[in-house]
Amino acid sequence: MRKTTVCVAFSIILTLILIAGIFPVAFGALTAEEIIRRRDDNEYYDSAKAEAEMVIINRNRRIVKTMTSYAQGDNGLVVFTNPRDRGTKFLKRGDDLWMFFPDAEDLVKISGHMLNQGIMGSDFSYQDMMEADKLIDLYKFELAGEEEFDGRPCYVLEGTAIEGKEVSYYRRKSWIDKERFVGLKEELYARSGRLLKVMTVTKVARIEDRWYPLEMVMEDKLRKDTRTEFVIKEIEFNPRIPEGTFTLENLR
Amino acid sequence: MFLTKLALKNLARHRNRTLITASIIAFAVFFYLLLDSLIGGMTEMSYEMIINYEAGHLQVVTEEYWEEEEKLPLKNLITPEPELMAVVKNVPGYLGSSAELNFQAMVSNGVNELPVIGRGINPQDFSGVINLTDYFVEGEMFHAGERRAFGVSPAVIGKRLADLLKVQTGDYLTLLVKDKHETFNTIELEITGVIYTGNPLVNEGLVYIPLDVAQEALAVGDQVSKVLVRLENKNRAPGVAKELAGQLQAVNPQLAVYSWDQLEAVTVAGAKQMGNRLIMTIILLIAAIAIINTVILAALERMEEIGMMKAMGLQTKEVIYTFVLESTGIGVLGGILGVLLGLAGVGVFTVVGLDFSGIIDMAPYGIPVVGTIYGVWNPFSFVTVFAFGVIVSLFSSILPAYWAADKDPIKAIYPR
Repeated sequence: MRKTTVCVAFSIILTLILIAGIFPVAFGALTAEEIIRRRDDNEYYDSAKAEAEMVIINRNRRIVKTMTSYAQGDNGLVVFTNPRDRGTKFLKRGDDLWMFFPDAEDLVKISGHMLNQGIMGSDFSYQDMMEADKLIDLYKFELAGEEEFDGRPCYVLEGTAIEGKEVSYYRRKSWIDKERFVGLKEELYARSGRLLKVMTVTKVARIEDRWYPLEMVMEDKLRKDTRTEFVIKEIEFNPRIPEGTFTLENLR
Repeated sequence: MFLTKLALKNLARHRNRTLITASIIAFAVFFYLLLDSLIGGMTEMSYEMIINYEAGHLQVVTEEYWEEEEKLPLKNLITPEPELMAVVKNVPGYLGSSAELNFQAMVSNGVNELPVIGRGINPQDFSGVINLTDYFVEGEMFHAGERRAFGVSPAVIGKRLADLLKVQTGDYLTLLVKDKHETFNTIELEITGVIYTGNPLVNEGLVYIPLDVAQEALAVGDQVSKVLVRLENKNRAPGVAKELAGQLQAVNPQLAVYSWDQLEAVTVAGAKQMGNRLIMTIILLIAAIAIINTVILAALERMEEIGMMKAMGLQTKEVIYTFVLESTGIGVLGGILGVLLGLAGVGVFTVVGLDFSGIIDMAPYGIPVVGTIYGVWNPFSFVTVFAFGVIVSLFSSILPAYWAADKDPIKAIYPR
């Protein structure tokens, strides 16, 4: 069973950047599969609770949204806490996604083409937060080389969707920190080869006994001058999450 | 006979009153007929909009697709095989058919993204069902197999969408789609034509691209969402749909045929007309109150006359008869006058039309009509509204006539 790490809303980001092993590679060269597996392995937590901030930058406009999120297994809940959106909630249960707007007291199921739109105007799409499978199950990765990124030596991996699997991005290119096994950069491509999104990690920290990406920037490459920063202020692994957190009743 | 003659004489004697009351009825009838013609025209036009720019007369789809059509799924598609198309082309009154692939997409100009419906079409077949030639404000429809430089696909979009995206012919757009496997794909487009039709959906929500480009980008092979069919006469569509559905069972039992009147958009347009009918009913009610008011006042004004008639030996029911007949006469007169005016008004409406685009843009209010609305002839309305005028006059006179006729003649003659 897959365990998202920080919050369900951004499970994909975590998927992209999860740290692999805590131990640097000491002997021999790792294969692409081993590198990704280390990342994937680190994705699996029983549960997590996080306080995070999302900064949506569109040209000169800057919108800050704060949230508390809970994740457990396939389920996730995000509660927005900034004044303007206070009480707005997202609930993910398995493959289904609901949104609750307190002003309208309205529960909306998000499906179809709505999933491709940005969450609250950000560069993350709803679809991005729905992808929950292990990368290794969805993509066939190849080691494309080694490069330095942001002053850190990295493995460069290229993943292509495995035939017959339902994946949003046909191809992805990842820069993975050679020592800390954190994805530092991820490029996501359409089947046509067009670059759709670029995600970069700007801050990695050691939390409990693992390296963890705390700050990241997502850019939607189909839109100009726009990016979304995602900052994890506080994160707790395996917290006690009250029963009934991930229910529709709890959304209202 | 004497009473009937008296009633008719009364009509002629009180010429002014007769004319004023009749003109009120005439005005109500006239106004109703005009509105009815206009609403009928709007309904007709919104149907035409859907048929001419979106749906054709018949749609051949799989039942499963039809149920989920709103989501524009890439499942339950059909393959337009030669056998299938041969059957389609043999239906009575066949004019043309066109296979199309519809899909959800986000269109991006590099700055903004907008959700749209993508429509893969074969331009030649398409023009046989939906003729957009006269609606191009820029450029033209792409040709079959046409590709722009660097393999970029040609595209035709609506004027409003072009304005929203601030693009024109020759500019580039990117269409972000999800293929059959739910994987993102992009289609690079160069705008070769911009259209402005009477259909708001076409104006702001559709992107036409070549069918083969759409099929490749969506990984659906040679499948399409549906086949549109155009017939010579739209009224024959429901019958032909049944016939074609029967014939198609032999080709593919999953196929179904729907005629234009079964489209959800048509049902919605029809429901809106129901709302309009309600407004018409209210107008009629107001007209009825005006008529009743006039008739009552006319009866009350003639209280002395009624008293005199009774003093001369007429029975109550005879007085009522005279009055009701007189009032009905006014109704008939008003009705005839109104119908004559209506004939002229509707006649003008059907020829000249009413240009709404200059007054207000109806599109944001969900009325799929842009431009001039022409009236339609509806003989049934003429008959019903005439009958309405006469019946209302008849019934509204009974009560005051009875009330006056029932009075003591002395009190009626000298009420103080």
